[in-house]
Amino acid sequence: MPIRNFSIIAHIDHGKSTLADRLLQETNAVSLREAKAQFLDSMDLERERGITIKASAVTVTWPYKGEDYELNFIDTPGHVDFAYEVSRALSACEGAILVVDSTQGIQAQTVANAYLAIGNGLTIIPVINKIDLPSADADGVAMEVEQVLGMPAEECVYVSAKTGQGIRELLNAVCEKLPGPPPPTTTKLRALIFDAKYDDYRGVVIYIRIFDGSLRLGDKIRMMGTGRTFPVTEVNRYTPFIQRIKALGTAQVGSICASIKTLADVRVGDTITLDNDPADEPLPGYEEPKQMVFCDFYPSSADATGGSGKKGDFEAMREAIEKLRINDASFTYEVQHSEALGFGFRCGFLGLLHMDIIQERLEREGSVEVVQTAPTVSYRILKTDGEEVEIHNPADLPDPGIISEIREPIVKVEVICPDECIGDLMKLCDARRGIFKGQRFLSKGRQILDYELPLAEIIYDFYDKLKSITRGYGTMDYELVEFRANRLAKVNILVNGDPVEALSTICHRDMAEQRSRVILQKLKEQIDRHQFEIPLQASVGGKVIARETIKSLRKNVIAKCYGGDISRKRKLLEKQKEGKKRMKQVGSVSIPQSAFLAILDQGD
Amino acid sequence: MEAATASSISLPQHGGGLLGIAAIAPTPGAHAVSGLYVHVPFCRHKCHYCDFYSFVDRDGRQEAYVAALERDIEASRAWLTEPLSTIFVGGGTPTLLEPLLLQRAMEAIGSLPRAADAEWTVEANPETVDAARADALVRSGVTRVSIGAQSFHPRHLETLERHHDPASVGRAAQFLRAAGIEDINLDLIFGIPGSSLEDWSADLEQVLGLSPTHVSCYNLTFEPNTPLEAKLRQGRIVKMDEELELGMLELARSILEGAGYTHYEISNWSKPGHECRHNLLYWLMGSWWGLGPSATAQVGRRRWKVVPRLGDWLAGPALGGAVDLEVPDEDTWVGEAFMMGLRLIDGMPRDRAESLLKMGLQGERRRRVIEQACARGHMAFDERGLRFSMRGLPLANEVIRELLAGKD
Ligand SMILES: Nc1nc2c(ncn2[C@@H]2O[C@H](COP(=O)(O)OP(=O)(O)O)[C@@H](O)[C@H]2O)c(=O)[nH]1
Ligand code: SF4
Ligand SMILES: [Mg+2]
Repeated sequence: MPIRNFSIIAHIDHGKSTLADRLLQETNAVSLREAKAQFLDSMDLERERGITIKASAVTVTWPYKGEDYELNFIDTPGHVDFAYEVSRALSACEGAILVVDSTQGIQAQTVANAYLAIGNGLTIIPVINKIDLPSADADGVAMEVEQVLGMPAEECVYVSAKTGQGIRELLNAVCEKLPGPPPPTTTKLRALIFDAKYDDYRGVVIYIRIFDGSLRLGDKIRMMGTGRTFPVTEVNRYTPFIQRIKALGTAQVGSICASIKTLADVRVGDTITLDNDPADEPLPGYEEPKQMVFCDFYPSSADATGGSGKKGDFEAMREAIEKLRINDASFTYEVQHSEALGFGFRCGFLGLLHMDIIQERLEREGSVEVVQTAPTVSYRILKTDGEEVEIHNPADLPDPGIISEIREPIVKVEVICPDECIGDLMKLCDARRGIFKGQRFLSKGRQILDYELPLAEIIYDFYDKLKSITRGYGTMDYELVEFRANRLAKVNILVNGDPVEALSTICHRDMAEQRSRVILQKLKEQIDRHQFEIPLQASVGGKVIARETIKSLRKNVIAKCYGGDISRKRKLLEKQKEGKKRMKQVGSVSIPQSAFLAILDQGD
Repeated sequence: MEAATASSISLPQHGGGLLGIAAIAPTPGAHAVSGLYVHVPFCRHKCHYCDFYSFVDRDGRQEAYVAALERDIEASRAWLTEPLSTIFVGGGTPTLLEPLLLQRAMEAIGSLPRAADAEWTVEANPETVDAARADALVRSGVTRVSIGAQSFHPRHLETLERHHDPASVGRAAQFLRAAGIEDINLDLIFGIPGSSLEDWSADLEQVLGLSPTHVSCYNLTFEPNTPLEAKLRQGRIVKMDEELELGMLELARSILEGAGYTHYEISNWSKPGHECRHNLLYWLMGSWWGLGPSATAQVGRRRWKVVPRLGDWLAGPALGGAVDLEVPDEDTWVGEAFMMGLRLIDGMPRDRAESLLKMGLQGERRRRVIEQACARGHMAFDERGLRFSMRGLPLANEVIRELLAGKD
C-alpha cells in the first residue's frame, strides 16, 4: 500500500485540529458521533487553553485512483514555544498541509512553520480554511501565500474544516502531490523518535517513524544516542483508536512501549535500532531542546529560616516536579536555595507559555501552591580570566570585578501587523532596545516587520503590548540569533535592608534607574504595611540608585465586639493569618507572590 | 452551616443540620451559667452598616416571638438554676416590641433567678423609648439601657441610613431617668465617611451634655454583604483616612477622660464602677446562655448559636435549633482567651497570662510573639500583667492574630 506521511501546520486557531477531525471523519476513521471536537488534543489543559501541547500520530486509509493509500498524519503544536517539537514531528514526514485561515490571512506562525517545513525538505500543500465564513477572502489569502511563501496561488486547496467542503479534494491532493517515503538506505532498523508521552498505565509511550528496516513486538531495541536498551512490549498504531499490532514496517508510523518508567530516559530526536543487529549511523538532526526562559518555583508555605514545617512542602514539590518531568522532558529543574525564599527549584522552559503551563500543572496535578519568581533569560558571562559561564539566574552573576562582558540572548522577531500600527510598533521595539532590520509588504493593508531584540525585553509584557497596539491583529514569532555583549548590570533589591535575590534583575545600565523606580513602586503597592516602617532600595554595584518607603501600619483592630460571637471574631483573624501564611517571609517582612511577578510590569 | 475548625472538635449534626440545644449543652449544673443574652431581631428600618440578625417585621410576628421566648425560657430553667449576675437584651431593637409585649418578655426573663445586684441591660433605639416602655422596663427590674445614638449629625446618620432625630437621644435619656434608670450607655460611631474631627468633637460634647454612665465609641467597619460595603466597593463613598480615624480615637480618649470616664476596653469608657459587667463576662470567657434567633451561648467550653432564622426558631420545638456548635480545643481556647482578654485596657493579670501560656502546646511560640510585641513597644508584660500599650492598641489584631492557635 502506498504511504503518505504528513503533518498539519498552522498559526494558532486557524483550524488545524478541526481539520484533523474532519480528515478522520472523511476517511471513516471516526463516525460523526465519535468525532468529539478536536479528537487529537487529549489533555484537559490543552482543551481548556485551546492549544496543542503534544503531537499524536494517526493512521487512516484513503482510496485514490483505484488504490488504497495509507495516510499517517501528525498533529503538531502551534505555538512558538514548541518549535522544537514541531520540527521533530516534521522530520518524520515527507509533506505538510499548511492551514491558513481565510478570514485572518497569513500570521507570524504561519510563516515560521512554513519555513520550518521547507527547511526540513517537506512538500507543502497550502490550504485555505474557513471558506464557509462570510468574511472569508480565500483568493486574497491565496495571493498572500504566493507573495510571502512563494507558492503559486492556484495550488491552494480551499476547504471548510467545519462543513467538510473541499476535504475530499484535499485528501486526493495528499495522495497526488505529496511524495511517498524515500527508499530505505539500509536493511537495519532506524526509527526516529519524534514524540514521547507518559501514560499512567503503560509508562512511556514512544512515537516513532521507521525510515529503514522494521520493528517487531518482542524485539530488543537500543537508543543510539544514550545506548540504553529496552524490550518492546507493545506496538501500536492509532486509527485514531489504539490498535495493538505485531510489527511496523519501513516508512510506517506508530508507537511502542518498552517498560520505560520516565520520559527522562527517552530523547525526542534519538534513533532506535535493534540491539542485536544495530545500524551503523543514527538518523540526522537530533538537538537538545533549548530552554530560553527561567524562573524559580517555591512552595508557598515554606519558611525561609529552615523551620521544621518547610521540609514537607519542599519534598511534596519535588515529587510533583519529578512527576511532571515524566510527562514533559523539555523543562529543566535544579534545587535552588534562596536566603529570602528558602528551598525551591530553578526551572528552565522553552518559552513563557511553556512556563505558565508547567506552573499550572504543578498546582493542579501536584496540589502544591507555588510562588513563582519573575522569569529571566540566560546570560553568558565572559570573565576577566577568559572563562565563559552561562547563568540562568541574576543571583548567580559573579562578582562585578571579575566580569569582562555580559552577553544576552538576541532574537530575530517577525511581526505581522496592519499598516497603521507600524509606527507604534516601531516605537515599542525601539524602547525595548530593538534594532530595525526591515519591513516587508505582505498584502494590501498588512506588513511584516523585522527586528532584532534582546529576549529579555520580550519576556517583559512585550506580547501584551503588541496585542494592544494592534488591537489583537498583530502576531509575532521569534528565533534565537546569538548571544551579544551589552552594557548590562545587576540591580539588587533590598527589602528592609535584606537583599532579596529573587527580586534582583539584570538590565541595561542606561535603563537601570528608571526600571528600579518602577520596581520599587510596584513593590510598595504589593507589600502590605507592617507594624514598622520598611525601606525599599535598589542598588547597582553597591550604590543605591532608587529608594522608597512603606510607612508603618497604624491601625488594625476589631472595634466592635458584639454579643460574644467569639468564633466569628476568631475566624476573621484566622482568615487574615491564612492570607499572611501564603506570603514569603523575608526577615520580618511578608512579601506576597504578586510582588515577585510585579517587577515584570514595565509600567509604561 | 459552618464546620468547626480543624483545631476544634465538632459534634455530630443530624438531619437538616439543626441540633437540639438540650442535646448539646453540657449537663445542667456542670457549669455555673452567670449570664444571659436575649436577642430580639426586629428593627424599624435596616441601617446600612448593620450585619446583625435583624429585620423589619412585616408579618406581625412580635407576639409569636414573645411566646417562643417564654417557651424557651421555661425549657432553659434546668441550666439557669444559679442566680444570673448579668442579663443583656439586645438586637435588633428590643424596645420596638409593643409596650405590652415588651412587658411580657421582660417579665418572662425576670422570672429566672437572678442576683440581687444583677446588671440587666436592654438595648434601645432612641425613637422607640417612651414613658410607657421606660416604665415597663423598670417594673421588670431592668437596671441599664444602652441607647444607639451613633451620631448627632443628621448628615452622618443619613450616610448610615439610620432614621432618627438626634434630639430623640436626649428625650430617651429623660424618659429613662424619670422612670428610674440610672445606668445609661450611649453608643457612638466614628469614622463615618464625610465626618471630621470637629463633627466628632461636637458628638462627644453632646454625649457629655447627657452625662451617661457609659460610652461606647465604635470605629465604623464595612461588613461584607451590607449596603454600606457595597457603596464602598462601587466608589460611592470613600473610606476615612486611617490617620484621621486614629485622631478621632485619641480625641475620644482625651475628651472622655477629661470628663471622668475611664477607657477600660478598646471601644468602651465608663464612670468608675459602671463598666458593663455583661460584656466583661465575654471578655473573660465566662459562661452565658443565649435565647432568641442568632444568640450565641457559651457554657464551659461548648459554644453554639441559636438558629438565626426567626421562622425556624418560632416553629420550635423548645430549645430546638442550634448551629455552629464548637468545642474549641485547648490551644484554640487559649488563643481566644487572649483575643478577648487583651481587649481590656488593663489587659490581664500576670498570673492569668502565665497560666494561659502554660496551657496547650503553643506557649513558647506565643511567648515569643509577646516578647516581640513588647520589644516594639506595642505591649507591656510586667508585675501589673499583660496589656497593650496605647500605641499598640490600634494594632491589636496584628498581635492577637499571632496569639491564636497556629496550624504550624
Ligand atoms: N467557521 C469555521 N470555523 C472553523 C473552521 N475550522 C476551524 N474553525 C474554528 O476555528 C477555531 C480554531 O480551530 P482549531 O481547530 O482549534 O484551531 P487550531 O488552533 O489550529 O488547532 C475553532 O473555534 C473552530 O471551530 C472552518 O472551516 N469554518
Ligand atoms: S437599629 Fe441596630 S440592629 Fe437595627 S438595623 Fe440599625 S444597627 Fe442594626
Ligand atoms: Mg488545536
